[in-house]
Amino acid sequence: MTRDRRRADSPPTKQVGIAEYAVVTDNTRLSTSGVGSCLGIVLRDGFNDVSGLIHVMLPTAAESRDGNPAKFVDTGLPLLIEKMVEAGASKRRLEGWVVGGSEMLSFSSDGDSIGSRNIAAAKQAFEHYGIDVAGTDVGGGHGRSIRFDPADESVVIQTADDNTTQTI
Amino acid sequence: MKVDIRELGQFNHLASQGAERAAESLSQLAGVQMDVDVTDVSLVTENVLAETFTDRSFVGVELGLEGGLEGETVLAFERERAMKLQDLLMGVTDNGDSEERLAKSSVTELGNIMIGGFIDGWANHLDTAINMTPPRYTEANGPRILPDQAIEAAKKHGVFLFESKLTGMDVDLDFSLYMLPEYRQFVQLLSGNDQGNQIPVNRLSTFEELAKEGAGNAADQIGMMTGLDTTVDVSRLRFVPLGGVPKQVGNDQFVGVVFELTGLPSGYLVVLFGEDSATTIANAMMPGGGAEEEIGEMTEGAIKELGNIMTSGFIDGWANVLQTSIEHSPPNFVHDMGESIMSPVVGKLGQQQDYAFVIDSTIEIDGNTGQCDIYALPNERELARALSALPARD
Repeated sequence: MTRDRRRADSPPTKQVGIAEYAVVTDNTRLSTSGVGSCLGIVLRDGFNDVSGLIHVMLPTAAESRDGNPAKFVDTGLPLLIEKMVEAGASKRRLEGWVVGGSEMLSFSSDGDSIGSRNIAAAKQAFEHYGIDVAGTDVGGGHGRSIRFDPADESVVIQTADDNTTQTI
Repeated sequence: MKVDIRELGQFNHLASQGAERAAESLSQLAGVQMDVDVTDVSLVTENVLAETFTDRSFVGVELGLEGGLEGETVLAFERERAMKLQDLLMGVTDNGDSEERLAKSSVTELGNIMIGGFIDGWANHLDTAINMTPPRYTEANGPRILPDQAIEAAKKHGVFLFESKLTGMDVDLDFSLYMLPEYRQFVQLLSGNDQGNQIPVNRLSTFEELAKEGAGNAADQIGMMTGLDTTVDVSRLRFVPLGGVPKQVGNDQFVGVVFELTGLPSGYLVVLFGEDSATTIANAMMPGGGAEEEIGEMTEGAIKELGNIMTSGFIDGWANVLQTSIEHSPPNFVHDMGESIMSPVVGKLGQQQDYAFVIDSTIEIDGNTGQCDIYALPNERELARALSALPARD
């Protein structure tokens, strides 16, 4: 067991929590779990090799009193874009993946569920910033864990059903 | 004395940032990338300390804080993990004899640097100097890893325990950073001006007792419905950033029910069973009925029914003590990964708050064969209001 025991063929994985984001400029994989009604949004500029992942909880900052922009679709996406541009990405080269927005619980006090409103907000934000959609896996009634691998630009999604994975 | 929940949130944020800096120090020193999993703060009693640390053997570095923030800080590794860290630091091969070679000085120095990083932000926030006493290397079993003063304080009035868990990104290494501020000074620091966000500090422990009672009621209900023995293992009131709530639940598969609470306080109650526990419970509830191998309709029906009764028992205690009325929704059945189950719950709470008071209780079923976790997440401002409205007591 030495300090060099990390194998070169297995890049590290960076975990991103809820209402957090991460930007990498190498092959570090980006992963987030517990994507239920929340959304995991991956952005990638393959030309400049900049990748980002954000795990947002709610559609709009306006409906909450708190100030963490990474918590909302409408403030989280521009935040991620800004940080990726700082890391060398070009706005017009960005493409993105959207995963999550499921409806797992229903309560009588609900109007539209958080999941479906998150999906709508993401659609609107992608259009607003002119980001191409490379892949989506949204809706349904189940949770997801996702992992983005910059090396082959794949998003691997794991669900509880039969513990299956799929790649988009 | 009253504490302002926004101040508590601010200190939690500082601890969380401090843990990030400590992780960076480790990365620079040893080339090990660490993720900070979660930072929470709870006001804990001696019993909770004992439950939290029992049966674990630690290696740690302890140092005292003086000046603007008084108290104790401990960096604790489970013993076997400390060996791993040392191997990483020294670049040596593990030959099974590492106990002898545990280089106290390197662990102490590492702890000193990491705690230094952890404390930096606090001094800035408080705009005052915080002095660190020289680090001490400690080894202990159970809660003795914590300083004596902290254990004494926990006996008297409880002690605020900040805990940050750090996990290696690519190496099997994890450890915890604990901060135990001196009680009286810290309560002063937590006092704010906004009446609406304040909780009398002694009521926090009242509420914890209440949660314990609620879990006891719920455990009794499982016992009555299934005939299985039940005991409440741990019950603790934590104050956690919302994003940290799912991480505490973990990503195993769970079967359970989620309830929305209305009244004062409103909030959510989540009852989760491991898959095996759910099947065991369902079969025990319907002796002679068609036993299910997998989680199907019978298990769903049984878990919903049981969840309803447990939840009523749990919130009845609150309503009695708070002298309010609390109702619960019909059960939402869930069978999914733990973190995903909590995602819509923190989403709903996230519309009003950044942090959550989480009461988590574990009920052991039939010895070690089954387990049930209950998470109660009240609306924080409503909880503050309800606790503040209680008549004063001596």
